[in-house]
Amino acid sequence: MKVSPGALALKYVFVLLAAAVVLYPLLWMVTMAFKPYPEWTTVSGLTWFPKNPTLQNFEFIFYGEAEGLVVSLDRTIVGPLISSLVTSICGTLLAVVSGTLASYAVVRFGLAQSLPLSVLQLRLFPPLAVMIPVMVMWAFIGAVDTWWGLSLIYGIVTLPFAFWLMKTFFEEVPVEIEDAARVSGCSYWRVFYRITLPIVKPGLATCALFVFILNWSDYLLALLLTQKDWVTLPVYMATLTSAMGGQMYGMKAALGVIAAIPPVVFGLMIQKHLVRGLTFGALKQ
Amino acid sequence: MSSIQINNVTKRFGDFTAVEDMCLDIEEGEFVALLGPSGCGKTTTMNMIAGLEDVTEGSILFDGQDLSGTKIQDRNIGFVFQNYAIFTHLSVYKNLSYGLEVKKVDKAEIDRRVKAMADRMSISHRLDQPASSLSVNEMQKLAIGRSAIVEPRIFLLDEPLSNLDAGFRAYMRAELKVLQHEFGQTMIYVTHDQIEAMSLADKIAIIDQGKLMQYGSPLEIYNNPANRFVANFVGSPRMNLIDGELREERGTLRLMVHGGAEIPLSGQVRSEFSSDTKVHSGSFGIRPQDIYFGARRAEDDIEMHGTVEVLERVGPKRLVYLQVLETMFLAIDDQDQLNVGDEVPFYMPPAKSLAFDLASGRRLGG
Amino acid sequence: MTDIPTPASQTTQSEKRKGYWATVARDGQKMGFWFILPTMLLLLFIVVFPLLMQLYLSVTWWTPLEGIPWYRAWEVFSWGENYWFLLTDPRLWGALWRTVVIMGIAVPIQFFLGMALAYLFVDKFPGRKIFYSIMLTPMMVVPAVVGLMFFLLFQGTGPVNDHLGLPADFSWLTDVNRAMISVIIADIWQWTPLMFLILLAGMLGVPSDQLLAARLLGGSNWQNFLKIVLPRMKTVIIIALVLRAVECFKIFDLIFIMTKGGPGVQTETISLFLYKQTFGELEWAYVAAIGLTILFVLSVIAAKGLSYMAKKNG
Repeated sequence: MKVSPGALALKYVFVLLAAAVVLYPLLWMVTMAFKPYPEWTTVSGLTWFPKNPTLQNFEFIFYGEAEGLVVSLDRTIVGPLISSLVTSICGTLLAVVSGTLASYAVVRFGLAQSLPLSVLQLRLFPPLAVMIPVMVMWAFIGAVDTWWGLSLIYGIVTLPFAFWLMKTFFEEVPVEIEDAARVSGCSYWRVFYRITLPIVKPGLATCALFVFILNWSDYLLALLLTQKDWVTLPVYMATLTSAMGGQMYGMKAALGVIAAIPPVVFGLMIQKHLVRGLTFGALKQ
Repeated sequence: MSSIQINNVTKRFGDFTAVEDMCLDIEEGEFVALLGPSGCGKTTTMNMIAGLEDVTEGSILFDGQDLSGTKIQDRNIGFVFQNYAIFTHLSVYKNLSYGLEVKKVDKAEIDRRVKAMADRMSISHRLDQPASSLSVNEMQKLAIGRSAIVEPRIFLLDEPLSNLDAGFRAYMRAELKVLQHEFGQTMIYVTHDQIEAMSLADKIAIIDQGKLMQYGSPLEIYNNPANRFVANFVGSPRMNLIDGELREERGTLRLMVHGGAEIPLSGQVRSEFSSDTKVHSGSFGIRPQDIYFGARRAEDDIEMHGTVEVLERVGPKRLVYLQVLETMFLAIDDQDQLNVGDEVPFYMPPAKSLAFDLASGRRLGG
Repeated sequence: MTDIPTPASQTTQSEKRKGYWATVARDGQKMGFWFILPTMLLLLFIVVFPLLMQLYLSVTWWTPLEGIPWYRAWEVFSWGENYWFLLTDPRLWGALWRTVVIMGIAVPIQFFLGMALAYLFVDKFPGRKIFYSIMLTPMMVVPAVVGLMFFLLFQGTGPVNDHLGLPADFSWLTDVNRAMISVIIADIWQWTPLMFLILLAGMLGVPSDQLLAARLLGGSNWQNFLKIVLPRMKTVIIIALVLRAVECFKIFDLIFIMTKGGPGVQTETISLFLYKQTFGELEWAYVAAIGLTILFVLSVIAAKGLSYMAKKNG
């Protein structure tokens, strides 16, 4: 197809415009993270790039204090960072393992045909509409503000994604391969473990990364189910202001950058399968 | 309706040259087949005619007019895709009316023309059904009808019969010929099937590796192939093409074939081979049906001896595989007189034999 | 050791257990049962029990304040008072209205922008891959961080005012009208890429030869888009819109970080309202009642939608 130079130029104008709109807030946060206190607001004039770039903001959130700053933090980023990592990973494991097993049973053995839809329903409702009993239960079993309590709820709310994503991957494995192995004497378990799982391994990795991103991105559940010890990064980031009184734009931006990096990196890694993941397998790219 | 002139057209995709210095003159109302093996550049040529691909060098003129600056929409070219590209989400009626609707033709006029076309293509009974419910054969008709209804200046068909089952293909082949006469339109037809091209086209353009090998009427191409490639590509069963060294011995010019077989050249084919003294290795061609057995019919017919290796029945005739040392000749036996293992003499009339330069593939003399 | 149980090996206790798993491995139905079990247990744990509890709490006055354990909530039984109250609670209906407004503005804008972007990206052009990745980034950023980003941008002393040449006292997040606009802008920024991604996948799914055929028949780009591309994308469009509408209905992180629902209740959506009822007012029984009502209404809508889709497709 031929495209006239004029049309191509127009296309680039629009694409660049869109890219600028996308990058504007991101870039602002990233540069803010490297700006020292006086450059945070219009008071001394705003610039895109820091006039005196500094790592002060990162230093501050990691050590609780930084040179030239009178304030100090009683909590550093370390605890929330560990909490975010531990709960996201455990939640991902729970979701992926149970989702994988269940979707395999649904796809291959035709069991529980109503399961896919009932799992899907978990994603339909606003979490806050159903959180009262969960909070009561979590308090009752002593799961509030624990790593396993948060991991458990993460595993449950991302289970639908893991289930549906793995379902589509399993559906792509030709049943003939499995039948052939079974005919040659392999048990069902062996076929699943030795044949099917290795085939869907890339899918499994995609699924795990996808679910990890979702867990890592959570704010609300951690807000409801943690108080202090297992507060996650986004919650910590949001509470930084209230704890200190003044606005700490630079520190918050630094936190935002740290919190944003893993999902963006992983997200770009699994770009190809994002459509499938986000639409519960209804669409493929 | 219009004529098309393709002048020195070259198409490159990066370093790859898909079409090289192509020249074709297609007259108004002609039915032309672009024939060649897959990947030879015939589809690229057609896409360039349609305007789907840009021309790298050269020009394509429609009635002397260059359309390269014209948008595809305004070129008014009928194009039937290999897989028909039917709008499966629309009804048959809507498929047929699409080209008229987008031109804002009057509703009553659309209705009249759609019904007429549906009638002509005998899919009237399907008009209100979704196009996705049609059989492959009906889709083919719909695709042709959809293009024909807007009365395009030319008609391009990309392997239109390749998806059809054998019976319908034969029917559709005849039908296409009839339609072409009815529409009176210039039609260009891409195919890799030489039989289809031979039976349909007024003219055939044979293309190999982006180059035009020969352009002419089917008979011309069959009887008078311009080069070794065309000789090899056209005709079924294939022409015998025997490659060897030319050697003059005791006054006779012989083609010495690898493995020891020798063809004593005489008559016309001999003079063809010796027409260019720079040629030292050549290719001798003869169609299987021109080889005969039994009594010699003319003085200068070339005589050889071979062993009958295989006999293969094709209808009333039999294909004979004759082994001469390490060389195989294919002949036709229409009298059922041979048996496997027979050692028989066979004759090849020089006037029906063809001479090619082995290095360039060029036809010698002729 | 062998996986296949022999009669002799079934005698001892441990061998017996091994024997059971060996039969499971050989029986698809049995293995499927064990495969499904974890998911079933999780569902049971998160659906059945909480639902009963929510129903129970919603007909009481129970709150975590008074020291009554939840299982003795019947002591403050309230009949249907909570349900009666929610029908006439102006703050709830206000929050619902604002949620619908955000949905009604943000989702269509996301749709049109996403469609336009998809149209830009459907044909190849130099740099397409890089720009595609850039366009997808917003939806991968943690929503809370997006909230922070726009919180920074919309400060009176922030870059938006600076770049637009507005004074520092031109407030966005604390202004009665502009707070809502800010929130909607942030949501559009983050989720247009999702629309773009899905719609582009759908657009690429339109067979290219059909589009060519339409073009050769003389249809202009716009006519072909309306008559060929759009109808073929119908399912994809529905999926994208439903997905976004459902997520937009839940919106919380962005708003909570940007405005906390303020100023006043100007940006208070259903989720924020529920959050404030839960933690501000500690009206847990009331929240349970509202939650159950939402659950019921959404389920009915979903069931109706599904059966409608099934009818259309079947």
